[in-house]
Amino acid sequence: MSERSRGFLRDNALSLVFGGLFLLTLLGQAISGTADYNAQQVANGLEPVTLLEYVTSSSFGVDVMENWQSEYLQFFLYIFGTVWLIQRGSAESKKPGEEGLESDEEQRIGRHAQDDSPAWARAGGLRTAVFSRSLGLLMGGLFLLTWAASSVAGWAAFNSEQLGQRQDPVSWLRYLGEADFWNRSFQNWQSEMLAVGSMAVFSVYLRQRGSPESKPVGVAHGDTGQTG
Amino acid sequence: MRSVRAVFAVYLAVILIGIVYVTALGLMGR
Repeated sequence: MSERSRGFLRDNALSLVFGGLFLLTLLGQAISGTADYNAQQVANGLEPVTLLEYVTSSSFGVDVMENWQSEYLQFFLYIFGTVWLIQRGSAESKKPGEEGLESDEEQRIGRHAQDDSPAWARAGGLRTAVFSRSLGLLMGGLFLLTWAASSVAGWAAFNSEQLGQRQDPVSWLRYLGEADFWNRSFQNWQSEMLAVGSMAVFSVYLRQRGSPESKPVGVAHGDTGQTG
Repeated sequence: MRSVRAVFAVYLAVILIGIVYVTALGLMGR
C-alpha cells in the first residue's frame, strides 16, 4: 500500500469504517427483510419475492427511510438544542452561562476571522449567517427530505397491503393522516430522544478513556463540556 | 484536506441518491 493511500485511510478512518458498516448492515437489512417479507407472503398464500424484487419495493424503501429521517431529526434537534440548553457536568454540553450564539470574537467570524478561517466565516452578511447555521440547516433539510421520502414509500407500501386485503387504496394526503405513518414516525423518534437524553446525562458520571465523546477520566463530575 | 472533501461529497451523494431512489419507488407504486 502506498504512502498516499495509507494517508487517505488514516485521515478518513472514522467516516470510512462507519460507511462500510452502513453498507454491511444495509445488506443485512435487505436479506433479513426479504426473508421476513416472504414469510408473510407465504402465510397469505402469495408468491415469495427475490432479493432484487424486495430491494426495489417501497416496503424496503420505507423501512430504510423511516430510520434515516429519525436520525437526521435527532441530529437537527441536538445541534440546535445544545446552542441554547446546557446539561451541567455533561461532555456534550457547553458550560453554564455560555448558552446562546456567543460573540463574533468567540466564533472567529467577520473581522475576528483568522488566516485559516473558511471564506464564508470572514465574508460577513448573509453568507456568514448561512454558514454559521449550515450544519443544523443540512441536518434539518435532510430530515424533511427523508421524512417526505418515507411518507411516499410508506404510502405505496400501505396501498399495496390495502389491495392485498381487497381494500381501497388511499391518496398520499390521506396516508399522512393514517396511523401507519405516525406509528412508523413516532416509534423511531422516541428511541432517538431517549438515546440523546441518556447520552447527555450519562457522560456526566461515566468516562470513556480517549474518546472525544467523554470527559478525560480524571475530570470532576461537575465540570461541564471538557472533552477528552 | 482534498481527500476529506471527497469523503464528504460521497456521503452527501449517497444520502441524496437514497432519498431520490426511495421516493421514486414510492411514486412508481412498487
